[in-house]
Amino acid sequence: MVNGWRRRRLHAALLLLAAMIALAVLAPWLATHDPHRAVPEEQLVPPSTGHYFGTDLLGRDVFSRTLYGGRRTLGVALLTALIALGPGLAIGVAAGYGERWLDASLMMLMDALLAFPSLILALALIALLGSGTVQVALAVGIAGIPSYARVTRAAVIQARSLPFVEAARALGAGPRAILWRHVIPTAAPPLLAFAGVTLSWALLNGAALMFLGYGGDIAAPEWGVMLADGRAAFRNAPWVALAPGVALSATVLAINLLAGGLAEHPADG
Amino acid sequence: MGKFILQRVGAALAVAWIALSVAFVVLRALPGDAVDATLTRAGASPAEVAARRRSLGLADPLWQQYAAYLGGIARGDLGESLVTGQPVVQMIGQNLGPTAALAGSALLVGVTLGLALGLVAGLAPRRVPRWLAEGAAALALSMPVYWTATLAIYVFTVVLAVLPGVGGGDPRHLILPAAVLGFHTAGSIAQVTARSIRRTAAQDFVRTARAKGLGEADVADHILRVGLLPVIAVIALQLGFLLGGTVVTESIFVRRGLGRLLLMAIDNRDFPVIQSLVTLTALTYSLIHALADVLYALADPRVRVEG
Repeated sequence: MVNGWRRRRLHAALLLLAAMIALAVLAPWLATHDPHRAVPEEQLVPPSTGHYFGTDLLGRDVFSRTLYGGRRTLGVALLTALIALGPGLAIGVAAGYGERWLDASLMMLMDALLAFPSLILALALIALLGSGTVQVALAVGIAGIPSYARVTRAAVIQARSLPFVEAARALGAGPRAILWRHVIPTAAPPLLAFAGVTLSWALLNGAALMFLGYGGDIAAPEWGVMLADGRAAFRNAPWVALAPGVALSATVLAINLLAGGLAEHPADG
Repeated sequence: MGKFILQRVGAALAVAWIALSVAFVVLRALPGDAVDATLTRAGASPAEVAARRRSLGLADPLWQQYAAYLGGIARGDLGESLVTGQPVVQMIGQNLGPTAALAGSALLVGVTLGLALGLVAGLAPRRVPRWLAEGAAALALSMPVYWTATLAIYVFTVVLAVLPGVGGGDPRHLILPAAVLGFHTAGSIAQVTARSIRRTAAQDFVRTARAKGLGEADVADHILRVGLLPVIAVIALQLGFLLGGTVVTESIFVRRGLGRLLLMAIDNRDFPVIQSLVTLTALTYSLIHALADVLYALADPRVRVEG
């Protein structure tokens, strides 16, 4: 089923993701400069041995800011994903396993939320909640609940109607035991894969709101904020946006490849 | 078929109505204080704020506000901006054109590029072109729009100096933003196309077609007729990404449009404008979904039977 090439691709993705997380965690030991310290006489210095990725408009070291930025970006994305996955999972299981009226009313509400494009919904929530790091995680996370609820419901219904689950019911197993012992383990792989998709989506959309300036503290290093700094200085200093852009894209790519690997089908090449 | 269309459009309208009501409850009923804050910040005295609240209907009972809100939408009256006092319909009318042009051309780029990459990734007999197409799709899904846009502006306006970057007006200003947004729209379309083609190619009827001696071109025709169906659904889904993407793209390319109008309204906490834009997007998006479902049913009779 899993051929050599596909396994190598998964290993490479896992390694890349582990490296990105390690760089963020080890930022205090790896950074060459204080990520907050602005040195006015070192504005927009091109990449050199003194500043590996150059400096930004305020003379801050881009290399060190990218390392520290990973902490905030990855942290916000993780929080966002948890906000989307927890309620999404609960609603999906309740709808897929509960009474008919519960399923119908929950899915009606989820469909109504899905009628808003997710980034637009997140922006509307920002208008209500105001700017800030936690607000961004909440806004993007809430906007992600309906998709995860829908996917969970579909997986639960599919698992529930499998012959061996029906056999367990015929043998007299209680609904609770069937749910925990049979339905949830069977539904887990697609749910895990979609959790990965949710995480990469949380990274891109969270950093998008940061880029647009809704993250609160714009001096603290964060990849979306750094891309906004890079956008402001790109004409004279294209390097400012380079490192945070590569870091964000590499992390999302690694998560996408892992999620894709979990959801693969024998016919996929 | 007529019954199916009626059912589907009816369901879309029902979902849109609930979405409008959710938007009403969340954005109008809750932030009454935000309206006060906006007006106070704009320099209104408490008496003026109270008078303005009455004229906006915010002092009425909630069900009356709700009825007025739905009636307004039906008449095409979306209220007026808290900041400028301009009718929201007028503001939307002034900004709809550039956004529609951007979203429309990005969709065109996205569908063309997505189908092309998906066909290469799914059908190409050699490995290298397949890998290149898959790689391009993976990059389109992993790179943030707000980074590729900056890169594209740098390459095409600073290094090569062949295209205008930021601003609007001239049709040439549409090329870069539409290309960037279209590239990212193409990612999912390409992946779904490639996957669907591969799964179709592994089915028995394809083996039968080969076994009875059909040429590869005829076999590909058999595969595509079935394999391209799911692409309709993903194109409709990508429209949601596209509508969100115009906000970011307009901001980076400093283009006039609904996205910038929305960002400005959020900064000013101008709730009538935010609410109208959000409901307008939801209405558009659900109607397009219904349209995609109808197209799908027209193209694939199995959908109608299983209903």
